[in-house]
Amino acid sequence: MSDDATLEAFRLADSFLPVGTYSVSYGLEQFVADDRVTDATDLEALLETYLRRQVGPAELVALRRAHAAAREGDIDAICAADRRLAAVTLAAEFRESAQQSGDRLLSLQRDLREDDLLERYADAVAAGDASGNYAVVLGVAAGLAGIGARRACLLCCHGFVTGLLGAAQRLLSLGHTDAQRILDDLRSVMAAAVDDSAGRSIEDMTPFAPLVDVLAADHERAERRLFAS
Amino acid sequence: MATDAPESRAERDGEGTADADTDATSTDAPHPSFEAYAAESPPQAAVGAPGKDGVLELRFAPTSDGTKLVHDYATVPFHVSGTLGHDPHPDAETVFLQSPTGGIAQGDRHDVTIEVAADAVAHVSTQSSTKVQSMNANYAAADATLSVGPGGHLDYVPEPTILHADSRYCQDLTLELDTGASAVLADIVVPGRLARGERFEFERYLSRVRAEGPDGLLFEDATHLTPAEGDPTAPGVLGEFTVYGTLFVVAPDGDAAALSDALHETVADADARAGATALPNGAGVAVRALADRAETVQSTLHAAWDHARRDLLDAPAPSGRKY
Repeated sequence: MSDDATLEAFRLADSFLPVGTYSVSYGLEQFVADDRVTDATDLEALLETYLRRQVGPAELVALRRAHAAAREGDIDAICAADRRLAAVTLAAEFRESAQQSGDRLLSLQRDLREDDLLERYADAVAAGDASGNYAVVLGVAAGLAGIGARRACLLCCHGFVTGLLGAAQRLLSLGHTDAQRILDDLRSVMAAAVDDSAGRSIEDMTPFAPLVDVLAADHERAERRLFAS
Repeated sequence: MATDAPESRAERDGEGTADADTDATSTDAPHPSFEAYAAESPPQAAVGAPGKDGVLELRFAPTSDGTKLVHDYATVPFHVSGTLGHDPHPDAETVFLQSPTGGIAQGDRHDVTIEVAADAVAHVSTQSSTKVQSMNANYAAADATLSVGPGGHLDYVPEPTILHADSRYCQDLTLELDTGASAVLADIVVPGRLARGERFEFERYLSRVRAEGPDGLLFEDATHLTPAEGDPTAPGVLGEFTVYGTLFVVAPDGDAAALSDALHETVADADARAGATALPNGAGVAVRALADRAETVQSTLHAAWDHARRDLLDAPAPSGRKY
């Protein structure tokens, strides 16, 4: 990987990236409100479920397809993966969060990079031909920057986990060392989620975490909340 | 007697020694000449062979006297005794599918097609739970295609699927909705014969529900469980619960956001842990419910179904009573 690609990967993986990570908890807020997550151990177990049941079998599958399609300049395949990911994401809050973050990343990338494919993709999102999910935008950005597919998947996992750890620090009394320990412990799970996504076509996205969906449905209607999801 | 060849037995029968033989071997063969056969266990019917390739076709159409079942074709293990006229909706027709078998066995391949014509209203259910039997070879699969014509409505609310130990089951359900059509689908899975302490001992369960509207894919949901590879009771998956079900209220022309809120309110305080969310592409609402018993999930989803049906058809849901 070139220095440019490596630095681009660091930039995209950084929690400093302004894509609104601070506003999403993907249901974690409700798990804390429900006393289902009360400490670092509970949090790590829930994050493992997210990685194994949602990120690996759905988001990373779409990311990989978008990454490959961006390398080939195939805008239709990017849009198809994007629509497919939205169609298998049943929790309304998760679709909204993924599309908001995706929108921010897409406009950021368009401000920084001159690329015809990014413009065409943005047009497709604006026209409703694509959903603009974060994982798909990230796949396109990584593909265009020359970041390898597996690295892009790991980057997505890392970003997802650090984002939720940040949310957890505001929801729980979770110390910095505990947060780093969870991030460290979850390395093998992230690799497993990436492996799981490798053999799947976009027809085979099977996210499955029904209790997360039920709690996300409660969160949609929660009266007091810090996070959009 | 297992070593007795039929030829030698026939020979001795010819010599009039049949009585002594009958005393020596105690089988329930109808005649001594059948005893040798009785020891042979029959090889199972082949994958998808007659008796294992159940086909069900139902077509509902509107008439001057409300919706009628205008075509039905059923092969084992499906059986249709006729229609029932107890739906609270004045025009609706009801079919309860029956099965003369003990459930779904390895090598079974079932194919269900249900068509609801324009402006017809139909309700299809099963008479009892679908039991997926234990398996040691192959797997069982069922494909269902449900289509609803313009302005029509289908309620496809079967009884739960029970996964016995070592079963492997794949079901694919595709819903095709025309303009102005709506449907309610339920899918409840019970991960074992709970009363005997069996749970999550099945090998693999994959259930896919896919809905398409006039403009293409609306949503797809998959339940893929392999307890030996990934703990189904992990936090956020099924957690402390055992039975899991989803009710899909597919009504692309309705106000999904309002219906989602109304259905969530209906189930939020139910006995099952349940919640409603708006489906992708404005397709309608999904209600997920988790509990320890099938009855709890059923009653919770029934409450949501009842509310949705009043909203869509101005009629309550039929009672869940099957006897």
